Amino acid sequence: MVNAIKGLFISCDIPMAQFIVNLNASLPASERFIVHMLDPTHMFVQPHVAEMIRSKIGEFRDQNSYEKPQ
Amino acid sequence: MPQVMVVARNFMDMVAALPASKLDMLYDSAFICEAVLRSLPPLAKKYALQMLYMLAPLTVAAMEEWVLDEYAAKHRVAIDKLLQLRVFVEMRDRRKEVSYKMNQKFQGNMQKYLIDGGSLPREPVPLSVTGRLPASADLEAYALDQWECFLLQLINSSQVEKGTSFSSSMMKTFQRSLLSSRDGEAPKLTENGFQFLLMETNSQLWYIMREYISSAEERGVDPTDLISFLLELSFHKLGAAYSLNTLTDVQRIATRDLAELGLVKLQQGRKDSWFIPTQLATNLSASLSDSSSSKEGFVVVETNFRMYAYSTSKLHCEILRLFSRVEYQLPNLIVGAITKESIYGAFENGITAEQIISFLKQNAHPRVADKIPAVPENVTDQIRLWETDRNRVDMIPSQLYEDFPSKEWFEQCCDHARDHGYLLWEDTRRMKLIVRGEFHPEMREFLRRQR
Repeated sequence: MVNAIKGLFISCDIPMAQFIVNLNASLPASERFIVHMLDPTHMFVQPHVAEMIRSKIGEFRDQNSYEKPQ
Repeated sequence: MPQVMVVARNFMDMVAALPASKLDMLYDSAFICEAVLRSLPPLAKKYALQMLYMLAPLTVAAMEEWVLDEYAAKHRVAIDKLLQLRVFVEMRDRRKEVSYKMNQKFQGNMQKYLIDGGSLPREPVPLSVTGRLPASADLEAYALDQWECFLLQLINSSQVEKGTSFSSSMMKTFQRSLLSSRDGEAPKLTENGFQFLLMETNSQLWYIMREYISSAEERGVDPTDLISFLLELSFHKLGAAYSLNTLTDVQRIATRDLAELGLVKLQQGRKDSWFIPTQLATNLSASLSDSSSSKEGFVVVETNFRMYAYSTSKLHCEILRLFSRVEYQLPNLIVGAITKESIYGAFENGITAEQIISFLKQNAHPRVADKIPAVPENVTDQIRLWETDRNRVDMIPSQLYEDFPSKEWFEQCCDHARDHGYLLWEDTRRMKLIVRGEFHPEMREFLRRQR
């Protein structure tokens, strides 16, 4: 019997993929969201995590920038 | 990525969207006929002129003989346009043969127009009455000033000095899709609003006119009257004075609103009052594509991401604030910097890198405008890079299928998804495939049929 799973197909560059993998690993086992790691730049994750990943990436990006005070 | 764009279609699309009876009413005026004729694509223009003295309907087949086969598509476009604007009317005879006939009113008006030329329903007021009229440069300055004032009020800027006299309900209609106001919160510009501000004046004007016309009915005014008046207005002579007494009531009220927008300037004489159309009005019926603004630019961008804007306009300052960090403001100069944070702020608001770059290019100061490129390449590249940096991760809702009982079945499914262009990924060895989410119902159906 063919099995179908709903989810998100993520494609990105290798560093970003590593960031997501790391994010996944930092969560408790019940909240991990990566269903399949397809190859270094593609993965299949649970459908509800899109916003969470985006905001984490945003946070990460903000940590790396510095705005000079007015 | 923002998908919504403020559509700036031209005037004629709006005219074409009117119901047939209204459109026929519009053709009572020779000016509208002329404006419509002018707006047609070249081939359609030729057809209209060719049919001008043809009284009997012409069959479609006969018309198709005019064109070579390879240009059939162009012919189709021209005919569609003519039918849409009801310049041509479709007729069917007893044998179900379709033929075209020219709209009688249109035909009559154009024939008359050819013979006596057009004359406006009103003559300019003689100089002896009006005295000295504003010079064209003054008039232009007035128009732009008025327009800017309106825009500032539109975006609820705190910098408005003199408000326009638009009622707040009217202002609300204009702001409808540009500002979002949640209860108890100050209204914020929406994505549309930001894109609107970056558009050139003519597109903005057209957008506002469209809102103005489409809200006419709420004010108890027939949109057709407004359209015909606006088209008529675009045939008036720039900078000449026309008496207000020649206008109907509807037109007089409209004129007052248009004066607020800077389309016309109202002046009061000893007994008479008159209006003077500005170039904003006379450009109105011109199609948007060929109205490239000849306004002088004001922005200089340096390779070190600093930006100098030689402008006294508060609106310019507001616009620049959308995507840059304004550092200081002198009476005629705004100095800012394009920083990663300021650009990200713009992206958050739904402005795209291309819009920012094209704004900088279009408004380049004359000193740098002749240079190629007008905006340093490292700056434009960096803005684009920052944008792509935001989109490093691509997520697509999808369905994963696994546990296929046989290789053939798996291959068939792969091929099926691939043929429809929905296959995202496949792993032949482990027999897994991923297709786009929207293809799932179709895929399920396919799997069921296979069984």
